[in-house]
Amino acid sequence: MMLIVGTIPSRDPLTTGKVSAEGEFLVVNGSRIPCTQGTGAMIGAALATTDYLGLEAPQALVVGDIGEGKGSREIYEYLIEKVAELSPEVLALHYWLPNMALTRRLCQAINKCARRPMMIADAASMYSAKAAGLAGEFDIFTPDATEAAFLADPDATHPAYIARHLFDTEITEAPRLAEVAYRNNSAAKLLLVKGAIDYIINDGGVVATITEPDVPELEAIGGTGDTITGLVAAFTYAGFEPHLAAIIAARANRMAGQFAEVTPATRVGQVVAQLPAVFKEYLCQWSGVRYVAGVNS
Amino acid sequence: MAFLKKNQKTPFEGGGLVLFSEVPQAMAAEKVLKKAGYEVKLVAPPPELRKGCDLAVEINLVEQPGIERLLKEKDAACAGVLPIKAGTSELLEIVKVTDFGSWVMVKAGNMKITYNKESGVIVNISGGGCPDIPYLHTELIDKLLEEAPRPKDIGFTLCALNADRALEECLALQNGGNAP
Repeated sequence: MMLIVGTIPSRDPLTTGKVSAEGEFLVVNGSRIPCTQGTGAMIGAALATTDYLGLEAPQALVVGDIGEGKGSREIYEYLIEKVAELSPEVLALHYWLPNMALTRRLCQAINKCARRPMMIADAASMYSAKAAGLAGEFDIFTPDATEAAFLADPDATHPAYIARHLFDTEITEAPRLAEVAYRNNSAAKLLLVKGAIDYIINDGGVVATITEPDVPELEAIGGTGDTITGLVAAFTYAGFEPHLAAIIAARANRMAGQFAEVTPATRVGQVVAQLPAVFKEYLCQWSGVRYVAGVNS
Repeated sequence: MAFLKKNQKTPFEGGGLVLFSEVPQAMAAEKVLKKAGYEVKLVAPPPELRKGCDLAVEINLVEQPGIERLLKEKDAACAGVLPIKAGTSELLEIVKVTDFGSWVMVKAGNMKITYNKESGVIVNISGGGCPDIPYLHTELIDKLLEEAPRPKDIGFTLCALNADRALEECLALQNGGNAP
C-alpha cells in the first residue's frame, strides 16, 4: 500500500480511504477533494501514475486544517497509533503544521512496522523532520531551492528563518547546499531539488540533473512541486529505485507542463490531466521498461 | 475518536519565544494562548534574548503570525517574537521579481504570488509547506490584488507571513507602475 498523508484546505474531519477520481475531484471515503495546490495535487499525480501502471490506487489520510493546527495534530496522532498496523510500503508525508515532538513520536512508531516503509517527505512534513533532527530517517525529500537552503542551515526550523547568506542563492547552488545539509545530517538519503534545474542528489553526490523541457512558467503554478512528490511516491511504489523514480518524476512533470502549454495562470489540475499522455509517449523510453496502460498489476 | 483518547503526553518543542517586559504580561499571554488552543509553555528566556523580563512564552515558531495577531486582538502586550536558536534571529525579507510578459511573479522567502499585469488579478500562489497555504490559494486566486484578503490577516504560519510580504510587493509594483 502507498499511503499519502496531509492536510486539505477545509474544516473537514479526518478521513482515510483508497483514492478515486470523479471529474476534477478526488474522492476519499466519500469526501470530495479538489485537485489543487497542496496534498490534492500530490494525490492527483500519484493516482494518475498508479492508474496508468495498473497498480493499486493510493490510500489517502487527509484532514481539514486551514493553518490552526488542530487537524494536523489529529493526523499525527492517528498515524502514530495506526502506522504499524497499516504498515505501508510507501509513506508519503506532505502538508501539515510542523511539530517536532510529534514527528519524533511518529518516527518511533514507524520503527515498529513489520517492514520499514519507503519514507518520503515534502512541504512542512520535511520541515518538521529536519527541525527535529530526523532527516536521516527519510529516504526522499523534495525541496525547492529555498528549502534546500533551509536544510543547509543547522539552526533553522522553518524556511522563513534562515541565514541570509544561504537564502540569497540560485538553484545552481543546490549541490553546495545539499553537501552542507548532508554534513549536518539534515538531508534524506535522496534529495530531489526542484527548480529551473532539477537536481537528483544521492547521499551527497549529484546523480542526475534534469533541464528539459524547459518550462519556466511551472514555477509560478501552485501545486507543480506537489505533483513531483506524488510522482516520485508512485514510481517508488511501482518498484523503481529512488533515483530513477526521481528522474522520471522530474521529466514527467516538465513534459506535462509542456503538453498543457502552461502559462503562469494555468491551474495544476491541467498539468495533472496531461500525465497519462506523457507516460504513453515517454515512459518506456525513460524507464527502459515496456508498460501497457492499465494492465501491469 | 478513540485514537485521540489514547494521546500520550508529548514533551513540547516549540522553537520560538514570545518575549515580554513584565512578568504579569507573560502570564496573561500564556492564558490567552492556551485558551485559544495553542500549545505553549512558560519558560525562562536565555539572557541574551531577554527584553526586560525573565519569563517568556515558548511557542511553535511556525505559528508566530497567528499568535501575534491573537495577542494583539486581546490587548496582550509582548515585546517581540524570536527563534530560540542563535543565528536565526532575523525573519528574511528578500524579495525577487520574475517577469513572464503578461504576468509578474513575486517571490518572498519560500512563497510566490503571480498576478496579471493588465488586470491586477492574482492567478497563482506557489511554494510554502504549511497548512494555511492551500487555504490562502483558494481564498486569493482570481481576486484583484487590492481586494484580496491579506495572508497575515487570515493565515496562521510563517509561510503566510512570507505570502503577505509577496502580496505587499505585488501591490507596490502594480500601484507604482514599477513592474518589470
